[in-house]
Order: sequence, then C-alpha cells, then structure tokens
Amino acid sequence: MAPPAQSQRSQSPSQPSGKSEVSDLKLQLRQLAGSRAPGVDDSKRELFKKVISYMTIGIDVSSLFGEMVMCSTTSDIVLKKMCYLYVGNYAKVNPDLALLTINFLQRDCHDQDPMIRGLALRSLCSLRVANLVEYLVGPLGSGLKDSNSYVRMVAVIGVLKLYHISASTCVDADFPSTLKHLMLNDSDTQVVANCLSSLQEIWSAEASTSEEASREREALISKPVIYYLLNRIKEFSEWAQCLVLELVTKYVPSESSEIFDIMNLLEDRLQHANGAVVLATVKVFLQLTLSMTDVHQQVYERIKAPLLTLVSSGSPEQSYAVLSHLHLLVMRAPYVFSSDYKHFYCQYNEPSYVKRLKLEMLTAVANESNTYEIVTELCEYAANVDIPIARESIRAVGKIALQQYDVNAIVDRLLQFLEMEKDYVTAEALVLVKDLLRKYPQWSHDCIAVVGNISSKNVQEPKAKAALIWMLGEYSQDMQDAPYILESLVENWDEEHSAEVRLHLLTAVMKCFFKRPPETQSALGAALAAGVADFHQDVHDRALFYYRILRYNVSVAERVVNPPKQAVSVFADTQSSEIKDRIFDEFNSLSVLYQKPSYMFTDKEHRGPLEFADELGNLSIGEAADNVVSSQRVEENDKDLLLTTAEKEETRAGHSQQASFGIDDLLGLGMPAVPNVPSPPQLKLNTKAALDPSTFQQKWRQLPIALSQELSLSPQAVAALTAPQALLRHMQSHSIHCIASGGQSPNFKFFFFAQKYEESSNYLVECIINTSSGKAQVKVKADDQSTSQAFSTLFESALSKFGTP
Amino acid sequence: MLQCIFLLSDSGEVMLEKQLTGHRVDRSICDWFWDHVISQGDSLKSQPVIASPTHYLFQVVREGITFLACTQVEMPPLMGIEFLCRVSDVLSDYLGGLNEDVIKDNFVIVYELLDEMIDNGFPLTTEPNILREMIAPPNIVSKVLSVVTGNSSNVSDTLPGATGSCIPWRAADPKYANNEVYVDLVEEMDAVINRDGVLVKCEVYGEVRVNSHLSGLPDLTLSFANPSILDDVRFHPCVRFRPWESHQILSFVPPDGEFKLMSYRVKKLKSTPIYVKPQLSSDAGKCRVNVLVGIRNDHGKTIDSITLQFQLPPCILSADLTSNTGTVNILGNKTCSWSIGRIPKDKTPSLSGTLVLESELERLHVFPTFRVGFKIMGVALSGLQIDKLDLKTAPSRLYKGFRALTRAGEFEVRS
Repeated sequence: MAPPAQSQRSQSPSQPSGKSEVSDLKLQLRQLAGSRAPGVDDSKRELFKKVISYMTIGIDVSSLFGEMVMCSTTSDIVLKKMCYLYVGNYAKVNPDLALLTINFLQRDCHDQDPMIRGLALRSLCSLRVANLVEYLVGPLGSGLKDSNSYVRMVAVIGVLKLYHISASTCVDADFPSTLKHLMLNDSDTQVVANCLSSLQEIWSAEASTSEEASREREALISKPVIYYLLNRIKEFSEWAQCLVLELVTKYVPSESSEIFDIMNLLEDRLQHANGAVVLATVKVFLQLTLSMTDVHQQVYERIKAPLLTLVSSGSPEQSYAVLSHLHLLVMRAPYVFSSDYKHFYCQYNEPSYVKRLKLEMLTAVANESNTYEIVTELCEYAANVDIPIARESIRAVGKIALQQYDVNAIVDRLLQFLEMEKDYVTAEALVLVKDLLRKYPQWSHDCIAVVGNISSKNVQEPKAKAALIWMLGEYSQDMQDAPYILESLVENWDEEHSAEVRLHLLTAVMKCFFKRPPETQSALGAALAAGVADFHQDVHDRALFYYRILRYNVSVAERVVNPPKQAVSVFADTQSSEIKDRIFDEFNSLSVLYQKPSYMFTDKEHRGPLEFADELGNLSIGEAADNVVSSQRVEENDKDLLLTTAEKEETRAGHSQQASFGIDDLLGLGMPAVPNVPSPPQLKLNTKAALDPSTFQQKWRQLPIALSQELSLSPQAVAALTAPQALLRHMQSHSIHCIASGGQSPNFKFFFFAQKYEESSNYLVECIINTSSGKAQVKVKADDQSTSQAFSTLFESALSKFGTP
Repeated sequence: MLQCIFLLSDSGEVMLEKQLTGHRVDRSICDWFWDHVISQGDSLKSQPVIASPTHYLFQVVREGITFLACTQVEMPPLMGIEFLCRVSDVLSDYLGGLNEDVIKDNFVIVYELLDEMIDNGFPLTTEPNILREMIAPPNIVSKVLSVVTGNSSNVSDTLPGATGSCIPWRAADPKYANNEVYVDLVEEMDAVINRDGVLVKCEVYGEVRVNSHLSGLPDLTLSFANPSILDDVRFHPCVRFRPWESHQILSFVPPDGEFKLMSYRVKKLKSTPIYVKPQLSSDAGKCRVNVLVGIRNDHGKTIDSITLQFQLPPCILSADLTSNTGTVNILGNKTCSWSIGRIPKDKTPSLSGTLVLESELERLHVFPTFRVGFKIMGVALSGLQIDKLDLKTAPSRLYKGFRALTRAGEFEVRS
C-alpha cells in the first residue's frame, strides 16, 4: 500500500483515481439538491459518505463545496454532521464559498434540538475564516446563555476559537468577562472546566499587552477561585480534574495549614483510575511541600505505591510515561525506593526503552542491603538476547561497583564476565575493570590475573581495546608478557583504525618502558617512529612530544608520563543538578520523558513562522562563532603541554582577538558594532547588593511576573558567551548580580538580582539565552512593580553592551 | 493541547484525520512518523512519545491500528497517551473489535465519536455510557429498528440526561425487568523465577469487574473477607473514598453495564501454582534441552491452557524438540511454542530435544527465557475473597453472581 502522501498521486487500483469520480459526484449531488422525493435522505447519505471517504484518503473534493451546501437543507442529523465535517475541512481554503454555509448554520443554531444547536455552533466556530467573524458574535452570545448545558459547553470553547481568529472581536464583545461569570456560577462542571481552559489561554495571551488581563490571570490562581474549584473537584470529569490540578500547582498557599487542607482534600485522587489524574495530583503534592523538607519526604512515601501500581497495571505506553516520572523521583531520592527495587526488574517482553530506564533506576537505588540481589539480577541480563541491554546491564554493574557497596562480590562478577567469551561482554567488562582500578587500585592483583589471560586479538572495540592497553601500560610490572603484547600491537600499527587506541598505545609503551626498559626498548622505538609518521594530528603530536622529552631528560619524562597516581574518588556526573531541578519543576510534562528541560527543546515552537527566517540567519553566525572558539580551545590544550603560562596567556589573547575578527569578517554586512543601545534611564542600583539564595527562591515563588520579553543578542555577545562566567562578570559591572547560572552552549540560563540604590527594593530576573538563535528570554519580577519597566530597560542596555570591547 | 489525531493502518496508510485546532497539521507528519517506525524495526520498539522536527507525537498501537496524536506545546504526557487509549477502547467497544476494515466501514461514526470526545484539543467526554446515549452504536438491534421504524438515524433524539446529572458515569434512570449484578475477580500473576529455581518476584495484579443491570439509582456496598492483603488500590470514579478509608468497604452507585470497579496489587506471594524446570547443557556445538512442567500447589481447581513459549537464541541453526504431552511448534521468528493444555494425571509433561549451534560455537552463552501461560477458573490466587454485596433498597427480584479467575501475566522462568 502506498504511503499516505503518495496516495493522491499513485492510486492503487481499488481506489478511485479522483477526477472523474469527483465530477460524477458533483452531478449526482446537484440532482438531489432540490429534490423532495421520499428516500432522498438515504441517497444523500450514501453520497455524503462517499465524499467524506474521498476526503479522508486525501483526494481533494473541495470543488464540491457549492453542491454540498445546497444539499445541506435536511433534518437528518447524521447528514448534518457529515456536512459540518466537510465544511469545517474546506472552509479555510474556500473563504468565499464559506459564506454560503453561514446561513444554514445560523438557522441550525436556533433549532429546537439542543444537540443540533450545539453541533451547529461548534461547526460555525470551526470555520476559522477571518472575514466571517461578525456572524459568530450573535450565535455565541445566545449560546452562552442557552438553557442547555451542552450548548453552553460548546459555546465556551467557541469563544476561545473566536479569540484565535480575531482577538479584538472577542474582547470587544466582552466575552471573557461572560466566561468568568459562567465559570464561577454555572451548575454544569464541564461548562466550568471549559471556561477555565479558555480563560487561561485568553488571558495569558492578552497579559503581555493589557494590565487588566494579567491581573485577571493572577486572579485565576487566587484563593477564592482555587477553593471554589477544589471543593467541586469530584464533580468534574477526569480530564477537567487534570486541568484544575494543574492550576492548583501554581497556587501559593499563605500558610502551612492550607497546604495540609489541600492535600487531605486531594488524597483520594491518588487512587483514581486515570493515570493523568494521579500524576497531576502527585505534582500538586510535590510542589506544595517543596519548602517543607520533612513533609516532602513523607509525600514521597505516600505517592510511591500509586505510581508503582500505575506502572504495573497500565498499557505499555502508559507505564512508560509513568516510569519516566518515577525515574525522575528515584534519581532525586533513591533511598525512598531502595526497598522496592524488585519493581525495577526487567521483564523479558518489555521494549528496550523501558528496560533502559529500569536499569538506571536499579543502579540508583542500590545500597548496602540490596546490592547483592540487584547485581545478581543484572548479571542475568548480561546473557540477554538483546545485546544493547546486555551491555547496558554490565555498565550498570560497574556503576554500582563505583558506588562502593559490596565491591568484593561485584569484582568477582565482573571477572566472570571477562571469561564469558562473548566479545561484547568482554569489551564492556574491560572498560569497567579499568574504571574500577582507577578507583580501587587495591584490586589490581585479582583483576590483572584475569585480564592477562585475554588475548588482545579478541578485543576489537576501540574503547575496550584502549582500556586493555591502558591496563597493560599501567600494570606492566605485574603482567609477565605485557611488553610482548604491546610489541605485537605496535607491529600492527597500520591496521589500527582508531586514533584513541593509537594514543593509548603510545602512552602505554612509554609507561612500560619506564618499568621494564630492556624488554620494551625496541617496541618504544617502533611506536615512536610509527607515531611521528602518523597522519592523525594528535597522535603525531604526542609521539613527537614523547620523543623530545625523552631526548631532553629521561627522568623528567618519567615524572610526566608515569607520575604517582591518586585514586579517583568520584566520577563526574553527566547531567548538572541545575538541569535536574529544572526538569523536576516541570513534573508531569514532556520534559520528563525527554529528560531535558522544556527550554532546551520547545523554544522554536513558541515563535511564529515569520521569525523563523531571521532566526536561520542568526543560526549560521552562531555556529560559525562556536566553531572558531572550539578549534581555538583544541589548539590551546595542545599548547598547554609545551608552553609556559606567560606564553599561553599571550596566545589566548591573540586567539580571541582573531576569533572576533573572524566573526566580523564572516558577517561582512557593515552591521553597527552596537545595535541601538537604549540610553540608561534614571534608576540607580546598589553596587554591593546582597541576597541569599533561599530568600531569592522565596521571592521568586511569591512575586508575580512584572515583565516578560524577548531580547535579541548582538552577534558579538553570542560569540563572547562561551561560558556562563563571561556574562556574569559583565553584568556585575552594571550592578546586576548573578545568583545561579548553568547550561551549556547553545542554551544558558541565569538568575540575576539587583537592588535599588539606598533602598531594599529587589529586582529578580530569569534570563534564558539561546546562542544559536541569538535570543534571550527575560522575565523580571520586582518588589516595587512601578519601577520594573525602568529596571528592565537598564537590564536590556546592560545586556546589549555585552561582548563589545 | 492536542492539535490533530490520525488513525493509521498497519501499512502506514492514513485512514482518518481529525484536525482539532486552528493550527492545521499537515499529513506529511505521518510520512515522517512511518519512516521513523520503519527505521526502528517495528512500531512496538519505538517510544510512545517521539519528538519529530515539527511536532511532538503520541502513539498508541492497538490491533495493528496506530493512533497518532500531534501537539506543539508542552502538555502532560499521560493526558495524551491516556486519551488515545480511551479512544481505542471506545472504538473497539462501539465497533465490536478493531481492524482496518471495520474502521473504514464506520468512519462516519468514528468522526462523530471523536467530535464528542475532544473539542479544541481538550478531552471532554470519554465515558462509554454517555457516548452511547449521544451516538448509537452500529449494532444489529439498531439496524433492525431502523428497518422497522424507517428511522435510519443513529443519533438519539434526546441529549443524554447524565450530562446534567451529578453522577457523570450513570445514565439517568434505566429500567430493567430482571435486576442483575455480577462481580468478577480477574487476577494476573506476574512472576520471575531465576535459573536456580528461586522465586525472585511474585505478585498479583487484580481487577474487580462489575456488570450491573439495575433499575433506578442503586447504591451498592461490597466488602471483602480479607482486605488487608491488598497493597495498593485504584478505583473507578464512582467509589466513595471515606468508607474505604475507614472500613475497607466499597460503597458506590455503579455505571450501567460492564465496568472496572477497582484494581489492586498483592505483593510478595510465596508460591506459584505450577513449576517449570528447564535444563540446558551444551558442548561440542550441541545443546540438550529438557523442560519439565508440573503442578506445585494443588488448589483443587484444574489448571487450563498451559502454554510455554521461548525464543531460540539467534546462534542456533536448527532445533529438534519433542514432547510427551501437547504439541510443539517452532514459528518463523524462531519462537518455540509448546501448548500443553491440562496436565494429565498419569505423567509429567516434558519437552526434550537438541539444538544445533552455529559452526564456530562450542557452547551456548545466551540462554532463553521461558514465558508461561495458564488459566485457573474459580480461584483468585492472591487469596482475596468477597464477603458480601448489599444493595440499599433492594428491588423485589435481584440476582447476584460472583466469579473468579486467575491467569498468568508476565510469568517468566529463566534458564
């Protein structure tokens, strides 16, 4: 069967080819249009069905628009529905013809049957044709006052649709305040819920331009509204409950008794059959108790069981989503889950993305009491048919070993892996043994005995080969034939494709030489010769460096290449805790599934299509700057080895100058060096402002957003922002201080604060910078709202000077 | 919120498209999705939530039909997934099963249903009872009715009463000549037995299913003899929370028809009804297999439909397996399936034979996992027992029925 897009072009024989059938239908519809013969509805229905089915498979039937409208005078509700469906689909591309439908839709809006009234109103609002909005206001107004809740429910969503077609018409007709009234007074909870979702959307969109709207938006999360909704929560449909719960997470209770009241009220929601409700409730619980450490711990205990049940009871799709959230919680508080480790055991049938999450969780919850069992379980997976998972589980064993529990037993297991004669198992295990030895040198004796038995010919993967070679070099005094193995590896230098392995080989031969000079001398000579002739720059450089340092002084060379080593105590974590916190704040969202905060993946979506073009322009500049900087870094690293500090400073300065020249050349557009810097307004800031992080957090939670805007960064600023520190120093010179920062290129995030001169009035700023698009999202909160605009201008001017000399 | 829903056939053809908001989602997203699925091998291997270059996609696959939803904004992921699951449940309930043909034949009903289930990207009514009142299912009864009365509309004339009532799951005032209520305990046993025969994990996931045909507004209470064994419970919205909190009694006004009243979990069970003992020993390029199956604990009930499945490791060239009871089949994807049925009184079922390994291999390093299936009627293996079911203001004739059933869930024996 052809894929969907092609179905229009290349039809399989059973499907109609389009053109002739469509004109055929047109003829038949026209014949039926005026007919009042009995049974005409049935033939119409057949025809309509055919039209809709063509539409569904992707044939363009928009040319039938006129005929369809002519046939729409009927009392048959199924016919009406099909007609509405058709009209809704094609009205946007046929705005002129859409006018034809207004008449019959408006008539249906006054039908006796509430179902028809509702359907007609829904279709009317779904036409989405800008020049027809004037016809919407009347029916919507009466729909909102309809005696039937079904019609009101449709009308409320209709208002939102109208808002998206024409915001001004919607606001002028005063619909938002009508919705507000309905929300607080309607007897039907679905109407209330629809009002809530519509108002949230309308007021959020309006808030940037209208003071009143932003006040209204804040009012949605005020105590009376929240309590009103919470008290009725059991009457809401499950989906509406999710909406209300989401709103509650934004509410900041004034005292702790309120927190407990809310949690008591919502406790039974944790046992709801709908997973979305359970997760939304969990989020409320977690957010409410963030500042109360003890209670927060109890919340973990409380939500554990419902979440674990959700994982085991739902469909695979549901349990994956829940498991991702559980993963987040386990990573934050592994000790809470340490007795539930059996829930994270992998089932044979589970897809590998689920298994991977579970393996990470098993690693995290391992502690003194359960390590033995967890490792036993993980070792069973090593014989798994699914090779990536088998690898992953060996790595997990290694990670647990590095967490220092029951190392004794684990080392035995790892060594068994080495004897399993499966090349991928051996490869993974080798890498692990290497890491293990770096942390626990005391195990070298046991490990080396086994590693010595592995033939280097059976190890092909670069990482594993590099690990093996590293061990050969490091422990050559304990391994009888280390020099000879290395020698044979050097002989096959040309067959070794990985530069990483060749680099390790060079170093290993050097180390071996210092320990057993007579046996290694010839291998060293061969290795250095091969290395210097190597086409890979790094390998070449390293070989040359070794050669020169050996010529200069052998004992210095030994001190450089083979210094006494300290055991590594902690290996670096890959994900920063700032990012983890950010994801936690976005609990119950897609961020958790992608394991990235939303600003790292959604930012493009929030912008309209128009801004896309200039974003692309900036993108290339950003990339060019990145490349320049990174290549400069690589060179620096190389030179670090050879130059004294003074020289290094010089080259670095030279390089950064070169880099900025390079960018100027790249631009070559005659851009002004500093694009329109606004003049600093009359607001003086305290240069020695001080604020401790907890106060900042508290204030950030309490204060409303005074201003939110998007600023463009100059290309110079983008180029200068290679690390967060650069911007911090710059802003400090403008009396704006940083309290927290993080991220990596291209996404950075900062929290700044400033204080008014000789007053204790604070300004708080959240600034998210994306260097690839050259945009900064700035949110300002202030103690004194009246001066927030002045401060924002100051902030903008300070930011715009960043990167200029 | 969701912007568009697509229904795709198992060949990737778009069977249905429902745009939900003003932001039209182009069909080309389905091509992207389908390419992605193919690159992953099959749709079950790709994640339920995917980020495409333009949209975030939720996918749920049921009976070969892919339910695909697109959004561009951040939203609770379970809301998307749970909603799609609900759509598939409702459709299969309405159409009596899910497959390509039945959806293509009834696409008008599918459109009508989606119209009521979601508006502007936000889920509205997903209660099957209410939907059935707004849109009549295409069953034989309504077909007969339409022939007789000449009224061929499948939409009821009246709006459902329940949209206005404060019990959203129950239609207003159904009337029955025979008042009946059936309660089923359906349990699934999940277990993992490791290669030393140790029971690593054993727990039961259970559901209480109720089928109620009661007139008026019946108020039911259901109590268990031993509720303390339940580890975690989830309820249908109709269950009142307080009576459960204080006395572990289920008090509720049931929806009409069949529904899941509650689900629960019982952890840390000590034994399984049957044992499976696999033995694999390999040398010189051959592997001898011997598997024994037998009853461990006699519950006094017969164990039915016992099956055993395992995946042959990829390094196996050929397999020759025979059994003394039941039939052994080796399917195309190297899955070996042994169906035993009931265990005979006089002998212990056993499967034996040899596997031939690839030429370079001396011994087998990857060991298969045996997945076991069984069914036991009349017993809930968790030990949960229903004490009684009471109806406030009982009608004159009331029939109450109770049943129990346990089957294997994820029951794995490693070798």
